[in-house]
Order: sequence, then structure tokens, then C-alpha cells
Amino acid sequence: MHKPPEDEPEERLSVTPPEEWAAGVPAVAHAIEYSLRQTSPRRAGRTLLTMNQVDGVDCPGCAWADPSPGHRHRNEYCENGAKHINDEATSRRITADFFRRHPVSELARRSDLWLNQQGRLTEPMVKRPDSDHYEPVSWHEALGLIAAELTSLDSPDEAVFYTSGRVSNEAAFVLQLFARAFGTNNLPDCSNMCHESSGFALHETLGTGKGTVTLHDLHHADLIFLVGQNPGTNHPRQLSALEEAKRNGARIVAVNPLPEAGLLRFKNPQQPSGVLGRGIRIADRFLQIRTGGDLALFQGLNRLLVEAEDAAPGTVLDQDFIDSHTSGFEDFSRHVREIGWDDIRSATGLAREEIEAVRDEVLRSRRVIVCWAMGVTQHKHGVPTIREIVNFLLLRGNLGRAGSGACPVRGHSNVQGDRTMGIWEQMPDAFLDALRQEFGFEPPRAHGLDSVDSIKAMRDGRIKLFLGVAGNFVRAAPDTAVTEEAMRRCRLTAHISTKLNRSHAVCGRTALILPTLGRTERDVQSGGEQFVTVENSMSEVHTSRGRLRPASTLLLSEVAILCRLARTTLGDDPGIPWQQFEADYGTLRERISRVVPGLHEFNRRVIRPGGIRLPNPVNEGVFRTSAGKALFSRNAWQMPLAPEGHLLLQTLRSHDQWNTIPYTADDRYRGIRGSRQVVLVNPEDVAGLGLTAGQRVDLVSVWANAEERRAADFEVVPYPSARGCAAAYYPETNVLVPLDSVAEGSNQPTSKALVVRLEPTGAAADRSEEARA
Amino acid sequence: MSAIEETVEVRVPVHTAYNQWTQFADFPRFMSSVREVEQVKPNLTRWVVGAGPLRGRFQAEIVEQRPDAYLAWRSTGRRHAHSGEVCFRPAETDRSTVTVRMRMHSPGAAHRLAAASGLLRGTVRRELGRFKEFIEAVGEESGAWRGSIGDGRVQPEEPEPPRSRVPHWPVG
Repeated sequence: MHKPPEDEPEERLSVTPPEEWAAGVPAVAHAIEYSLRQTSPRRAGRTLLTMNQVDGVDCPGCAWADPSPGHRHRNEYCENGAKHINDEATSRRITADFFRRHPVSELARRSDLWLNQQGRLTEPMVKRPDSDHYEPVSWHEALGLIAAELTSLDSPDEAVFYTSGRVSNEAAFVLQLFARAFGTNNLPDCSNMCHESSGFALHETLGTGKGTVTLHDLHHADLIFLVGQNPGTNHPRQLSALEEAKRNGARIVAVNPLPEAGLLRFKNPQQPSGVLGRGIRIADRFLQIRTGGDLALFQGLNRLLVEAEDAAPGTVLDQDFIDSHTSGFEDFSRHVREIGWDDIRSATGLAREEIEAVRDEVLRSRRVIVCWAMGVTQHKHGVPTIREIVNFLLLRGNLGRAGSGACPVRGHSNVQGDRTMGIWEQMPDAFLDALRQEFGFEPPRAHGLDSVDSIKAMRDGRIKLFLGVAGNFVRAAPDTAVTEEAMRRCRLTAHISTKLNRSHAVCGRTALILPTLGRTERDVQSGGEQFVTVENSMSEVHTSRGRLRPASTLLLSEVAILCRLARTTLGDDPGIPWQQFEADYGTLRERISRVVPGLHEFNRRVIRPGGIRLPNPVNEGVFRTSAGKALFSRNAWQMPLAPEGHLLLQTLRSHDQWNTIPYTADDRYRGIRGSRQVVLVNPEDVAGLGLTAGQRVDLVSVWANAEERRAADFEVVPYPSARGCAAAYYPETNVLVPLDSVAEGSNQPTSKALVVRLEPTGAAADRSEEARA
Repeated sequence: MSAIEETVEVRVPVHTAYNQWTQFADFPRFMSSVREVEQVKPNLTRWVVGAGPLRGRFQAEIVEQRPDAYLAWRSTGRRHAHSGEVCFRPAETDRSTVTVRMRMHSPGAAHRLAAASGLLRGTVRRELGRFKEFIEAVGEESGAWRGSIGDGRVQPEEPEPPRSRVPHWPVG
């Protein structure tokens, strides 16, 4: 194990050509190397060998589903999962002495990487008003401070309770129960910022908010689309599923502005061909689309399919399915016929022949799945894009049949489960009625605030208290300067966390760090050893048990912290036995089974190997939409346009990064090492803009009313991205995303297709110098 | 491509025989060549079959299913490619007949050999016999799925069948 860094690492940028394959032996080597830098071989081995096993710990790294029990590898994890879990299992510790040496104002100047590398939080800390230091505080006093602040508010709606997708079902249920018993629906969550557009569009058109496919469907699809996602870095275990699909004869179409290594070729380190051979090709066709062109692509594809049916009636579309299970086809088909090829060409940057070739792939395929991630959802037109994907699937009946369907690929390991547990500011009355029935209080009915609206309310002084359960809200949120100012306006901010991050340093007048158990750790309560449950991206609810000795004896579990906070704030209540919930999570699941539909007999069913597979109504032939049928939609679009001298920027993650936390400054697959302050630009755009490789530039995003936002001092890296489209790392460039720039319908921040110009660093200062002169 | 057909008469009413047949996960209890079955979804099952140390794995999509009457499946993927159907007919009082038809599509030598040597037919006949023994001895089904499937898709009998009563609010 290495010691945590005292100083910020100083490295220089080095650039090599991007890789054309993902994983292989280097993935194993990097996973082991990072793990052993964090902890002992024994601890690392213990986490890795129980990861994603039936009775083991669910990898908090992503929400990808596990193979069926009995069919899992001994090593059922990926490089990034291994790095992530040992980042949590680290042997490094942060003690009170650390906070004595580092004032909050200094922590606020530190990088995300440095903060994370300091290790695990070990005892509750408070930053009192007018102090620049965190100091130790007892749990009793810490929770008392929050409770006192909560009860002094003029209205419960002056508090927000944020959830990150690592939080277990049990903790999420307790959090929403506490918030609603306290009197507010202000329950923003991280999914407001990642897949809200998916949930909104799928719910509207199919009557379900969740994806419709299982791992087994993927294994046996004929054709799989990977749209706006980078499985090699963000869901590496998906590559194993794609490998199996290809072995079974599937074809894959990847759609992305960047030729990501994981889209091109996969070397499975658990197969001889992946260690010694060339691995397997992933994408049979790679469509290098302009950022934000996906809606136009699917409309073009849909137009081609409708016209193919005209040419050979009864052979292309699934007319029986369309007639019996859908509504709105006529209106939709009239609309797509009117979409012009010139518009499609300029929105996508793709030649018509490329889209026609994809149509031919579709016509040869009985079972089609479309996977997508944030390259689709984080656009202004993210919702209509997903609706158009649904149109595409409906046309040939690719919903409800085995091997076909819609597959939003979610990131956080329990982001889907948290929503199932009621973490949503707009929960339907039926859920709130069930809460009332079960717990005997009247939940508030007025809708609460999501993430974007919470920031606005904090900015405007309408929110006084922020409680975050896991996550790093300050860095995950858009418009960094506005978000940070908003947090600093709060009277009290508190975070239930495992590790240090910027949200602890950019905080309210009073701030609390409430350290909690990690997923990897044993959770012992007075009722015995506990497990928690999570729901993956494919609606499988299963257990997760940690095995390691907790990082500190002073840690409380998330459930325990929330139950104690609820009891301190609301007092003892015979209707809600908080103490009992804390002692035995089984009693909590018993209550969940009566409130959340589909989780009946939760305790009995979830301990079966593999857990509970929640059915998707679409696979039962049921569409719970307004019309009782799947809905075709007509989707108008405006091409994202960059004026002369500007580019469309997307934010993205590096390979050595998990959400807001970089592990190193390297991005191996893209050939970037030593610095994250880079902007990836097509070489022709570099020349066209009069820039040179390695030049230092400020990224300036342009928004309505000529508002400008600046991310200073980035190095230009020529990169084979689509023409006119640039990319830079999240969260460093969140500062460029205007708070008001949201996806229509879902209110999700638009971290893609930002209009930016690249100004040589120092030019703005030079201009103002000149103006003064 | 080769086809086989085997029929067995069972001394239980047709709905009992049919209901038991829909409980695929129970098959390893009485069929010796079926090691494991997982019902992924109503229209998708995953099978592990084998004899001795040999194992074969495949997924089967159920393309048609009508209660007390008929079920048709086809395997997905390249290996062990086959399709089949099961017909259930009422016979004289409290009896019924079960007919299995199977076609192998796999070009592999092992499959050709199995088909040519009558091994497959023998296996199907023996397994049908075991089904008969089991259901006649038990006398009642261990469970039932009474839904219908047409063109590979579940056809709901009611607007909101119990299994689809799950959280359906948007997921971000």
C-alpha cells in the first residue's frame, strides 16, 4: 500500500494514438496495481473474490446485471470495478489530525484526485459557523445539530435530501420515509442528471420507466445498437455480454462521435483468445455521428423502414403488432416521410448510404436491441431522441419478444433501485397512499424539487438545509460556479460519505461529515449481521453483503444514520419504529413489501440465489400508457448548431475515473496521460480554428443572452472525433453547462452539445489589458 | 434437418398436464437429461441439458402458447439449434395425451449422429415417460402459468395482470 499524497501530483501531458481495443492483460495489470496501491493483497483479494458473487458484495461501480447464479466467473468483475471497490476498501484513513492540518479553504483548492486519495473518513466531523476547520463531533451532537436546524425551518420544503445511486434500497426507503414524514418531497437524486430522459421517454411511450431486456436477451439478439455509450470504460462487463452475443451470431452497430476503444474490439482477459489472440471485434459498423445527431439518425432509419414497407408491403413492418399494440402510427409515419435527407445529413454528418446500410442490417434481423447511455440522454432533445428509438423498436415489433427491446445502460449501481424505493420528487398518489396506510401519517402531495430546481432554490435562498446521502453533489451538478455559490448559501450542509470529496469543502455555514460503512464492510447491528439489497439496470433485486472489517469503529451504516436522524428530528413514533429498522433491516423490508408493488414477500424472495427479477409490464404484453398501448410519437428537432468559429462540446469520463472521482490523470484507451486539462478536437478543426496541438486554450461556452462561462487553461489534443465536435472531461467542464440548459421534459442538465469556442489562454486578459490601456 | 414425434397418454386431466408443463424449472426433478432450467421471462427459458459429464446449454424462445392446448419453442443462438412443439389433448375421462415434436437444425456432427442413431428419439420418449410417471404419481401440478403467447409475445388476458403490478414510474 502507498501512503496518500501530501502534494498534488505534478505530471506533464503525454499523448499517444488512441487504442483500438479494450481490456486484455493490461486491464488486469492496472486493476491489480491500483488495488495494491490502496490496500493489502489480502484485503484486495477478499473484495475481488466476493464481488458480484451470489452471496457477496455488489460492485458499486456500475448497474450492469450479473450472469445467472451458477454461471458466474470466479472473477466476476472488470478493471474499473476492481479499482472502484479497492478505492473504497483502501487502508488509508483520514483522522481528526488531517482536518487540523488542512483548513476547509485549503481543501476547496485541492483537486478531486487529491481529496479522494486521502482515504476513508473515520469519525463524524463538524465545521461550525465562522470556523475554517472541521473538528470532531459526537454522533449525538452531529445529528442533534441537523435535527435542530430542520425543526427551526419555516417550512419542511426548505430542506432537500439528495440521494446518490450507491445508496442501498433499505437506506433509500428510510430516507424518503423520513423526508415525507418530515413533510417534504424534495428528493433530488443523481439520476436527475444521468438517465432522467430515459425514464421520462420510456414511461410516456411504453408505460414503464425501466429497460425491457435481460442479459439473456442481449446474448441472443440478432442486432444490437450501442448509441452514445462507452462500454469499455463505463460498463466493461457489458463487453462480455456483447462477446457472447457475437459468438451467437449477433451484429453490432455502434453510434458515437468518438471511436472509443471498447466499441471497436474487446480482448476478454478470461479467455485465451483475449490474452493471446486479437480478441473479438465489437462493432461491425461504426457510425461516427455528430454530437446530438442521434434523433436525426433514427428518424432517417425510420423513414427508410417505412419506405421499404411501401416498396414491399407486408414484409418490413410488423403490421399485426402495430395494429393491435400501438397507437399513433399514421401521424408518426406521415412525419418521418417529411424529414429531408439534407437535414439528416447535416445533423448526423453521416452519408445516406451509411444509414441505408444500417437499414439493411435491421431488415436481416428478427431480434433487435438498442442500448444507450448519457450520449443520448444529456441533450436538450434527449427525450425526443429516446422516443424516436422507441418508434424504431415498435416498427418491427421489437418489444416484448425475447432477444429484443430497449436497454438504457445505467451507471450507478443502485440508481434504479433508489427510484423504485420512492426517491423521486413526483411520486404518484398510489405510492403516497400506500405510505399513509402503512405508517399512519399523511405524506405531502405537492411535488418537490429535482436536482436542477434544488440548486436554483438554494441559489435563491429558498433552501436552507442540504443533506446528501453518498455522492459528490457539488461536482456532479452542472454550472459549477452557480452550484458552489448555492451550496455556500445554505445554513447547514451534511454529507453521509465514505471518502472525502469537494462537497465537503464547498459547504454551508455549518457543515457536517457523517462517515458511513462502505459496501465492502460488515454491517453488524443489534439485531445481528445485516445485508442490504440493490436493483441492477435489468430490474434484478438482489442482496449485497460486505466482508471486511469496517474502516473505523465509529462508522454507522447509512440506515443507522438516517434512522437516528429521523428519531432525533421527529421523536419516537409508534407508527414508524426507527430503532427497530436500524436493528434489523428485515423489518424494514417487511414494510417495503407492503408499499412497493412487485416486492411482496421481499425477505423470503430476495435471499434466493440471484434474488428477485421484477417483471417489466412490456414483456407481459401490458403498456400502462394513457392509451393502454405503446405510443408512436412525432418528434420535431432542431439541429444543434455551432456558429462559425465554435464547436459542439461533450463532457465525458476518462478510463481512470469513476463518476466525479479520477483515480489518476490517465486515460489509457484515448492515449491521454498525465493531465485532464485537455480538449479533444478533430485535427481538421484544430487547423480550421487556427490552433495548434498542445496550445493552451480557455473553453468558453455560449448560452442565451450572450452569457458566457469559462473553463480556463486546457491543452488542445488533436483527436479523431467527429468534425465540429470536441470533448473534454467531466467534472472539470461542468462549469460550462448552464443551469438553465436542460433536456425538454426531463429537466436533465445538458452536458452534451454545448456550444463552445476555444480562446487562447490569456487572450481575454490581454484584451481587457488593451481595453484599459 | 430431422424431425421426431413422440406421444404419451397421461392419467391426469389435460389442464393438470399442461399446467405442470409450464413449470419448466421443475423439469430437472423428473427428467434425467435436463439439469437446469431458468424461466427468464414468460417467453424465454434457459436450459442446461446433459448426460454423464457432457453438458449443453441453450436458450429457448417460446413463440406460441395456448393454455391446455399448445406450446411451440425455438432455440436462439447457433449452438444446439432446434425447434419444437407440444400438443395437449383431452382424452377419455380425466386423461390426456401429450405429443412432442422436435426438429434439429444444428449442422453439427454430434447432432446428426444423435438424430441418425435414434438417440434423440429415445431420449424424448424416455423423458416423456418420466413426465407421465411424475404427474400421475403426484396427481396435481406444482404450479401454473395460464398466459398466452402469440408470435413470441405475451398476450395479456386482462388489462393489468398481477405480474405487471410493479413500479412503473419513470426511472432516471
